[in-house]
Amino acid sequence: VGRDQTVISSGINAEYGVDVDAYDEEAYEDEARVQDDSGVAEVTERASKVKDLLSQMKTKEALVEALKSPPVGRDQTVKSQNYDTVMWVLKSFKGSDIDAAVADLSMVEVDILMKYLYKGFSCSPDKAANLLLWHEKVVAKGGLGSIVRVMVDRKGV
Amino acid sequence: SSGINAEYGGDLSQLVVSNSTPHTHIMQLGKDKKFTTKEVLEQHLERVTSVDWAPRSNRIVTCAGDRNAYVWNYQEDTGYWKPCLVLLRINRAATYVQWSPNEDRFAVGSGARLLSICYFDPEHNWWVSKHIKKPIRSTILCVDWHPSNHLIAIGSCDFKCRVFCAALKELGDKPQTSNWMPKLNKFGTLLAEFDTTNSGWVHGVGFSPSGEQLAWVAHDASVNVVNSASLTKVHTILTPSLPYSCLLWMSEMSFVAAGFGYCPDLYTVSAQGVSFTAKLDVKKEKSGGGEMSAMARFQKLDVQGQTGNAGTTVTTTHENCITEIRAMARDASGTVTKFATAGKDGRLVTWDMESLSAALGGLSL
Repeated sequence: VGRDQTVISSGINAEYGVDVDAYDEEAYEDEARVQDDSGVAEVTERASKVKDLLSQMKTKEALVEALKSPPVGRDQTVKSQNYDTVMWVLKSFKGSDIDAAVADLSMVEVDILMKYLYKGFSCSPDKAANLLLWHEKVVAKGGLGSIVRVMVDRKGV
Repeated sequence: SSGINAEYGGDLSQLVVSNSTPHTHIMQLGKDKKFTTKEVLEQHLERVTSVDWAPRSNRIVTCAGDRNAYVWNYQEDTGYWKPCLVLLRINRAATYVQWSPNEDRFAVGSGARLLSICYFDPEHNWWVSKHIKKPIRSTILCVDWHPSNHLIAIGSCDFKCRVFCAALKELGDKPQTSNWMPKLNKFGTLLAEFDTTNSGWVHGVGFSPSGEQLAWVAHDASVNVVNSASLTKVHTILTPSLPYSCLLWMSEMSFVAAGFGYCPDLYTVSAQGVSFTAKLDVKKEKSGGGEMSAMARFQKLDVQGQTGNAGTTVTTTHENCITEIRAMARDASGTVTKFATAGKDGRLVTWDMESLSAALGGLSL
């Protein structure tokens, strides 16, 4: 999920490896990615904070911490690291605790969680069962609108 | 988009309708309370994308995918509408058109990434346009004129909602300063630019009746409102419903938004921000949804893989996306009492606020 890949146009241009869209002066370009994006240091710090909270069985707090300031830029390693943190938290929940945790999330946090769920569907099909359970609960809170926002947002996790 | 675009004439006895074809229909309300086509306006070569009817000067404007717009003037002697060409000078389809409040000009949004402000040139007997181009980076989807007649807001596919100055010295405009324009600016000046938090195309935009507030709805299922007194404070709701395509201010404190959820929703605005108030489609349960026979259940399981009724019946009046919403009647204070919605299902539905309010146990607009 995300718009980081450059696409070489199809057909004859693909054979020549020419991206004709790159030469279009009027082509739309995404504005510079968010400057205050979470860097490696913050993501690593977040991971250790989450680890602490989980060891104290504070799963709700761990979830909120994991969903803070997700990296949405072009650095795939940072994004991948944060993704692992989030997946770890999701895995640590008992099924019965999910409702209470989701209920207290703000709509912005719900949207971030939904983005990670969809990234999970595409990157970690082995976790699908757990993610689907989460998905059901998150849709109950965020509605179809939160799914639309995952599909529409050009800043992917 | 498919579906219809429609607007009522001044006295609500006539409709101008385009139905995703190059033709525009003038429909007349008959004694049987049904609208029938009285005249077909044939001039466009491509699908008509938007229509608007100026009630006081009684002129119709249509714009289409053929990169043209026409202004239609009613000929009293013949009873027919006569087209007058508009030189838009665009190289992509026109998408949206709206008469200004004073009806002396209109704005046309297009895929050419520019806004055409059109006014009449009596010397050559045609309509000419001035372009606003910078910094619009993609197709314009919607426009709304400010009540002052010289400011305009647009929503476009580059995820932004913008307010421009559209004062025309050619028409002798003497603009006043306001919260939107603290010092006098020339035509085409960008006065304000707002982003959508999740990169959604801005489908609908509207100034409140006083012009002080601006609301826009976008494809990221968000509803946004800003007050010109504090332009940095945009109030946003990330809604749980499907995105809205259009909105209509009912009063200074409320507006109705409608779109892919097939249902008009009422929102209320206050100093604290904007909040969802009510869904306005209070259609009764579809009758005849009782027990299914065993045979019907088996067939449904066989064909659809489902056993129940869920997910296959539409419970709203509109059966597809609502694309337009228009005010039909207002009370003495200017609050909208009746509005119409048009959709991709080809339906034009009228909504009466008094009966809706009664059905919902009272709504304050």
